[in-house]
Amino acid sequence: MPTVKAPARRVSTYKIVQAVLGILFAGYLLWRIYVVFIGSPTYGADTWARFIIAGVVLGSVYALIAIGYTLVYGILRMINFAHGDIMMIGAFGGYFVFEAFKAIPAPTLANPKLTFLDANPILSVVTAFIVGASVAALGGYFLEKIAYRPLRGAPRLVPLISAIGASIFLENAGQLLFGTQRRDFSNPVILTRGNGWNLPIGGTTVILPYTGVLTVAVSVLLMIGLYLLVMRTRLGRSMRAVAENKQVAALMGIDVDAVISRTFIISGALAGAAGVMWGIHLGLVYYYVGFLPGIKAFTAAVLGGIGSVPGAMLGGLFLGLVESLGPGILGMSFQLADVIAFGILVLVLIFRPTGIVGEVLTEEKV
Amino acid sequence: MKKQLRLAVSAGITFGIVTIFLFLIGFTGTSGDLLADLFGNKNAAPFLGLTPQMINMLIFLALVGLWAGSYGSRKSKGQMDDPWSPAVIGGLTAGLVHGILVALMAFLVGTLNLRHVPINMYLASVLPASIKMFLLGYSPVQGALIYFSLFTLTGFLGGLLSRGIGRGGWRVRLMADWKNAWGRFNQTSLIKQVRGNRYTRLVIYGVLLVLVFLVPLVAGVYWNYTIGTVFIYVLLGLGLNIVVGLAGLLDLGYVAFFAIGAYTMALLTAPAPQHLMWSFWIALPIGVVLAALTGLLLGAPVLRLRGDYLAIVTLGFGEIIRLLSTSDIMTNFSGGPKGVPNIGGPTLFGKPFNSAEDFVYLIFLAAILIIFVTNRLQNSRIGRAWEAMREDETVSRAMGINTLKQKLMAFAIGAAFAGLAGALFASRNKFTGPEDFTFMVSVNVVAVVIVGGMGNIPGVIAGALVLKGLPEVLRELQDYRVLVFGALLVVMMLWRPAGLISSSRRKMDVEKDTGVPAPPKEGGEK
Repeated sequence: MPTVKAPARRVSTYKIVQAVLGILFAGYLLWRIYVVFIGSPTYGADTWARFIIAGVVLGSVYALIAIGYTLVYGILRMINFAHGDIMMIGAFGGYFVFEAFKAIPAPTLANPKLTFLDANPILSVVTAFIVGASVAALGGYFLEKIAYRPLRGAPRLVPLISAIGASIFLENAGQLLFGTQRRDFSNPVILTRGNGWNLPIGGTTVILPYTGVLTVAVSVLLMIGLYLLVMRTRLGRSMRAVAENKQVAALMGIDVDAVISRTFIISGALAGAAGVMWGIHLGLVYYYVGFLPGIKAFTAAVLGGIGSVPGAMLGGLFLGLVESLGPGILGMSFQLADVIAFGILVLVLIFRPTGIVGEVLTEEKV
Repeated sequence: MKKQLRLAVSAGITFGIVTIFLFLIGFTGTSGDLLADLFGNKNAAPFLGLTPQMINMLIFLALVGLWAGSYGSRKSKGQMDDPWSPAVIGGLTAGLVHGILVALMAFLVGTLNLRHVPINMYLASVLPASIKMFLLGYSPVQGALIYFSLFTLTGFLGGLLSRGIGRGGWRVRLMADWKNAWGRFNQTSLIKQVRGNRYTRLVIYGVLLVLVFLVPLVAGVYWNYTIGTVFIYVLLGLGLNIVVGLAGLLDLGYVAFFAIGAYTMALLTAPAPQHLMWSFWIALPIGVVLAALTGLLLGAPVLRLRGDYLAIVTLGFGEIIRLLSTSDIMTNFSGGPKGVPNIGGPTLFGKPFNSAEDFVYLIFLAAILIIFVTNRLQNSRIGRAWEAMREDETVSRAMGINTLKQKLMAFAIGAAFAGLAGALFASRNKFTGPEDFTFMVSVNVVAVVIVGGMGNIPGVIAGALVLKGLPEVLRELQDYRVLVFGALLVVMMLWRPAGLISSSRRKMDVEKDTGVPAPPKEGGEK
């Protein structure tokens, strides 16, 4: 389709309103930061350190989920609404691994009540991650095969509605299978939530939890792995080619359907790993556990410019920090952390749908 | 041959997994109750030591087995037309695989149950009683054998039934005959006269109206309440139909406007947080106008986005409103998580008019009003602009449609309808709180619109009746309602994206390509 140059652009009232609102908001934010840090500090340095630790850990989980959204959006231009529920599947995978290992006795002379889980914490955690990621990857594969593949080439609303349906289906299947109660993720004793290194900050000690460090470490490792996969391997190259242009990629001999399928497997595995992290660090799994992180990770993906993998990582980290620091800085109740996340989603989509670091998208993409 | 086998094995595995899933979510037991309602044999005497519930469950599972067999024996591409061997091999193989999977599961679950492993601690729906019922009271080995033979047999039968007797042949012929007969019936002069006659239409509408006004008198309180709920969803569906169906804007935060209508009614008429206690009749239009205004306010910045981004932003708005209404900062203003009790009802000529029955009348009136407005809008310039926008925004803009203005109009009108529904809902329930406005409400309404048929009024009504009414009639399905919603959304998109009752304009779109001219429309465009 030949593009037609737009006539000389006049500044629309919309743009002016946007700029004014933006400046007002930035001013308010600066004022709040001044008040909170210099004017009349509400919290000490130790509290801020706790917020930052919580934010970074949460952000690294969001980043992993956001990568899944971004990969799929980059290739199919569709929002995989059920991605959060794939994460739920992964979380349950990890949960059942821990429960199973906990049921196996591994008595020693010193401790006759020792379980396999506590005796082999490293093996248990690795198994949990592998099982969680594979179950979620399977889920992603079948999700694509059943709910999305037959709809390729349909109008854009059709696969989205199908995705919403799949999400509701998965959530309720989870509810009917595993019940409505919130289950405690039984970590190995070493990884008991709340345990960690003590950092002396601001006169008191701040705990740097082991689970948080584990989460961030695994997340960084997976992101490096993904980067290598996308940039260095044959599959990564074909993924980038398909994202660029499906038809041409097919002409170059790439099996587009297989690449899409593998993309869903990869993003599912990442979400599954994120689910296991969620369980290990935050401790609760239930059928609805994926909904909020899913939407927030989508926010993160949009923040970083949907379609860009580094953008999703940055966006995830940023959103995690905003969520934990935001209520403190804005002086709001901590109940409203989710409102801040959703508010950012709405604001970014309205004012800068290309994301903060994003490329300039054509209208067709937005 | 090999291909046929592969097809059959994959069919068997699929149906095996589906059957196991049905057992794990407890649906096999429920199917027994459900069929008992249908057959009316709930209290029949046990037969061969099997309760009627077990027999019904076996009937249900046998039907699944038949389906698996017929699915496994379907023709692979480029196959010779030899009906018997694929029927036997395909059906039998699918049945065998299906049977083996289910038998394994039955054996495993039964053995675990015999050893008193608390399965339902992890799989909530697998209670010892339901395991016992699934095994029909037999031992795990016997139960496994029963299911193995059941599915092998039904798979074989299913293959025979669908292929051996000429799969495709009789079904296609039957459909064609039916279509022909219906067409001929429609073309007879008498029917044409009756259908074309304006008076007959008036009579039909009159009869419908009388029926509608008689029903609440006959139905009891419970049914009036249910009918009211269903028709609130009709109102919501008709409102969202304008936004999604006509203008093509997917709004996942529709519940926000419903909430605004409800909270306006609640705060203005209830004694609790605001001490206003205005009349219902004043609060109602205020709720509608406020909802429409919010629609305009939210819509103005948001509607520049397209498709899926719009869906997510509206979802965000809906969640923000719900989170705010649950949070503590709103407690003094709107009751917070406790909600607003003692909402006032309407009075008519000085008498209270607020029983469940009276509200059914009110909701019917509102529905008729909305149907009238939607109908007029749909056939007006605005409605055509909406539909043009839905089909192709760029082209419609090139045609001189101010798309932003039209989108805002659709959004505001849809919001106004939701506000009306919300106000009626709050007043009827006499209580409203944040739990009434979860994301699931938005999803339900989207499901009503999509399942019924986007962009057409009878479709939306049918959708609301099917999705909200059927679960009330089939109470056993209650637990599975939302699950079925989700599956229905996917299935509808895969098989019938136009909905149960597809709108005439869409139908014309489809028929255009077949080379057969679409029949001239009666009425409407004269």
